[in-house]
Amino acid sequence: MIIGTAKESYPADEALLTTAPQRVWMTIFVIALIAAPFVLSNYWLYLACLAMINVISATGLNVLTGYTGQVSLGQAAFMAVGAYTVAYLERSLGTPFLLNILAGGVIAAAIGLVVGLPSLRVKGLYLAIATIAASFILHFVFVNWTAVTNGNSGATLAPATVFGIELATYDRLYWLIMPFAVLLVWGAANLFRTRIGRAFIAIRDRDISAEVLGIPLLRYKLMSFAIASFYAGIAGGLWAYLFRVVTPESFPFLTSIFLLAAIIVGGMGTILGGILGAVFMTLTPELLRVVVDLASVFVPDAATLLSPVRTIVFGALIVGFLILEPRGLTEIVDRIRRFFRLWPFRT
Amino acid sequence: MNITRRAGMAALAGATALTMVGAPLAAQDDSIVVGGSLPLTGVFAFAGIAIEKGMSDYFEIANEEGGIDGRQIEFVYEDTGYEVNQSVAVFNQLTSQNDIDMYYGDSTGFAKTIAPELQRRGDMIMGGASFASELNDPEEFPYIFIPGPDYIQQVGILLEYIADENPGASIALVNSDTEFGRDPIETTKERASELGLEVVEEIITPPGAADVSTEVLRLRRSRPDYIIFHGYVLSPIPEFVSQIRELGLDTQFMGTFWSMDSSLWQSVGEAADGFLGVMPYRYYYDEEEAPMLDRIREMRPEYQATGYMQGFFSAMLMTEAARRAVANGAELNGDTLKSALSSIEEFDTGGIIGVPVSVKGNAVPFGRVYEFNAESGQMEPVSDWIELED
Amino acid sequence: MSEWLFFLEVTLAGLGSGALLALTALAYVLIYKATRVVNLAVGEMLMLGAYLFFAFAAGWGLSAWIAIPLAIIGGGLVGGIVERGLIRPMLGESAISVFMVTVGLGSVIVGLVELVWGTDPRALPAFIDTSPLFLGEAYVSRKIAVAFVTAAIVIGLFLILFRFWRGGVALRATATDQAAAYSCGINVPGVYSAAWVIGGATAAGAGLLLGAIGGISPVMGVFGLSALVVVIVGGLDSVLGALIGGLALGMIQSWTSTYVGGEYTNVVTFGIMIFALMLRPYGLFGTHEIERL
Repeated sequence: MIIGTAKESYPADEALLTTAPQRVWMTIFVIALIAAPFVLSNYWLYLACLAMINVISATGLNVLTGYTGQVSLGQAAFMAVGAYTVAYLERSLGTPFLLNILAGGVIAAAIGLVVGLPSLRVKGLYLAIATIAASFILHFVFVNWTAVTNGNSGATLAPATVFGIELATYDRLYWLIMPFAVLLVWGAANLFRTRIGRAFIAIRDRDISAEVLGIPLLRYKLMSFAIASFYAGIAGGLWAYLFRVVTPESFPFLTSIFLLAAIIVGGMGTILGGILGAVFMTLTPELLRVVVDLASVFVPDAATLLSPVRTIVFGALIVGFLILEPRGLTEIVDRIRRFFRLWPFRT
Repeated sequence: MNITRRAGMAALAGATALTMVGAPLAAQDDSIVVGGSLPLTGVFAFAGIAIEKGMSDYFEIANEEGGIDGRQIEFVYEDTGYEVNQSVAVFNQLTSQNDIDMYYGDSTGFAKTIAPELQRRGDMIMGGASFASELNDPEEFPYIFIPGPDYIQQVGILLEYIADENPGASIALVNSDTEFGRDPIETTKERASELGLEVVEEIITPPGAADVSTEVLRLRRSRPDYIIFHGYVLSPIPEFVSQIRELGLDTQFMGTFWSMDSSLWQSVGEAADGFLGVMPYRYYYDEEEAPMLDRIREMRPEYQATGYMQGFFSAMLMTEAARRAVANGAELNGDTLKSALSSIEEFDTGGIIGVPVSVKGNAVPFGRVYEFNAESGQMEPVSDWIELED
Repeated sequence: MSEWLFFLEVTLAGLGSGALLALTALAYVLIYKATRVVNLAVGEMLMLGAYLFFAFAAGWGLSAWIAIPLAIIGGGLVGGIVERGLIRPMLGESAISVFMVTVGLGSVIVGLVELVWGTDPRALPAFIDTSPLFLGEAYVSRKIAVAFVTAAIVIGLFLILFRFWRGGVALRATATDQAAAYSCGINVPGVYSAAWVIGGATAAGAGLLLGAIGGISPVMGVFGLSALVVVIVGGLDSVLGALIGGLALGMIQSWTSTYVGGEYTNVVTFGIMIFALMLRPYGLFGTHEIERL
């Protein structure tokens, strides 16, 4: 609660952005989002697209894990479901891309419902492990259901087209991916001001108490699974248009861990956390590349150290944040914000 | 939770923001630029490092000899860790900073991912570490080439060798459950029956499988004369070989290019003796007349892996394609380079490949069967150079 | 060769690899029993054990019989260090957070191994005789047989220790009720460390057996996931469950890869796990916990 922002009406109380600085920052952020494709180089645009896809998927996982407390290590598999759906529709039916992407989300959500079913019986770690199993089973389906997935060699698809314009370059794809990212994140932020979102939080905090309060556990848990998978499916669909080939190895088990790591690093159970974490984790490998390039002046063969160092940093970030900063980057941002709130009168 | 720890994590986060400021280098002259997404780290690093050396060495030789019509060749590359996402990132980074004419990609997945982009750009051709048969289709992949025989052709060379040595022999196929492993299976079966060979067993091993005793039992039951492994670099082939040898079966074991490096097999020791496989290039230590090999041995006195030869030959093809395109007076782009590449016929590789080679389709379908000699620790040729007719 | 003999051979091979699964599963169970932590890094600790053996035996040229105990002690040390450095600061945090710490730890171990030894697959110096073994007419790979006997002895030993040895009883007491164990004068933090040390050592031992069979590489840790299936099916806190579950899964995997195809082993393995989870969420031999508010 911030002192000095007295709410005078219900709409003011319900608003997402409650203070003037928040609104200013948001305006700057939106302008930056719109200006980006005109300023950034191809390489940074590619990274921006990838980061936004990860933001969508991580936000979905955050709904499930951060807000509902159901740990899933299967998010990458749902992304794959979305990507394959898009690839199949694009290749076989040639339906419009918006429809394909939405279908990717819906089908991923449907499969998410099935995978969420064990949450009826098991929870916590056992559930996490059940989702690992589900992702391996899905991988098997991708490899062997060749009629739809084209097996190991994967499905290649044509670029999305709008009025005859091919969305093949990153500056155009940006306009496809960015609106999805904004809409979905905005949707997630709003979700937690509804009954459903609050039910999720109640389940996370203590599921038995939530049930006593009259929240049907199974229905809400499944709903949370479906929402998370829907986000993953959309992200996967966008991914398919970005890379234009989907193979069973496109979404390895490591991607699931990556996404979980993203919300841990960013901060579980906050919308900002999903965004910060996903962007941070997407950029870290690139950052390390720069560091290694600089180090190669002093260390011969520094380039050969990059991959192991990346793996170590990846693990160390998970461990480090969990032990030292369990609330993630969001908490760091908050601390900075608190510092400047009364600055320079109190430091 | 104390303050210093928090400050540490904050600093870590802040560091990312700082390095976002990085201006692309913009140095352009009339040099011909070859880009590369190379797996210098990760599971394929042993090949990537060798490929890098091979390519750099050849470009150095070519530049010493005056480059291409006086234009120097510049080789820019970055590490990918053998991940498609990273390879694409590297491609985007390099292409936004350089005017690249030719490119070396590190995996089949990357080649397929970037192919539409190549087509859209139309300004370069690309070779790479992938011998995937799917890429050997000039219609679908007009700007891609394979610096050697594709996997189907590699196994085809082995089958021809078998049919020659031992007509009517029975063979077993052992493949890994990956895109790489499954690539030639279907065509191999057809080809084998055409050549009068009988496929008695097909085994697919899950990736990362270490314990192969049940697979060995199946092979023991079907008793093939030859077992062709594909889709592996090393493990679990040695375990297969040693267990089957223990059982006293006199089966011949065969592999394809990426499992043919003699230094890998040296570490296996006695059990590796007699391992056969197809190799599109000469080995570093081959004694037959080869001016280019002499040159390599001069530059690098110690053994260079098969990946080195692959990189060296890739660089050679790229240089030759550029040379021909420049000689035609054409502007360098995907189409001119590719048609120059396709015009290569009866090309003398200076002994990197034992016979003059031609580009057919997207590939160079020449190869030779070598056998590992555990005593000398070297691969020794057991066949002539085989050119595949289709 | 008769079909039955073949079936017998396949089954024996399955029992052998199942014993390795059981041994790895034991590492999960030991750690979980005492500290209620599911350590997803068991697979990576197993890999590290194999690499330690590789370093001692191939790098320093030590005899295998010295390198083996050194590698196992090394594995135990790693377990101890991890417990002190990463797990103890997480005391009181939710089980999921601790689980995620072990996920991160796994990644760190993989990176370190790649940094030190590179990513190339390697063969371990042979320390098991390779001549084939015949049980009656049935062929058994000697390495597999050795793995089976070793795993059986180790697991048998642990079953006895838990029953009769004071430390084993202390571990069981801690697992049952921490507060009561404290008040009985049991050194609970000590038990925690001990469980991790023993778990780490067990994983390292399983690692060198596995490495002797299939060679070593930084990705061999995925074997840990199969063993995880064993403990989920058998019960996270049951040594007996690890043994029976391991052997059963080994046989099932062996049958699947022979009669259905190698590509089906993963899907069958994980299918069994989901089925078991739905049927008995606490494992066939695990303890059902009653939740209170």
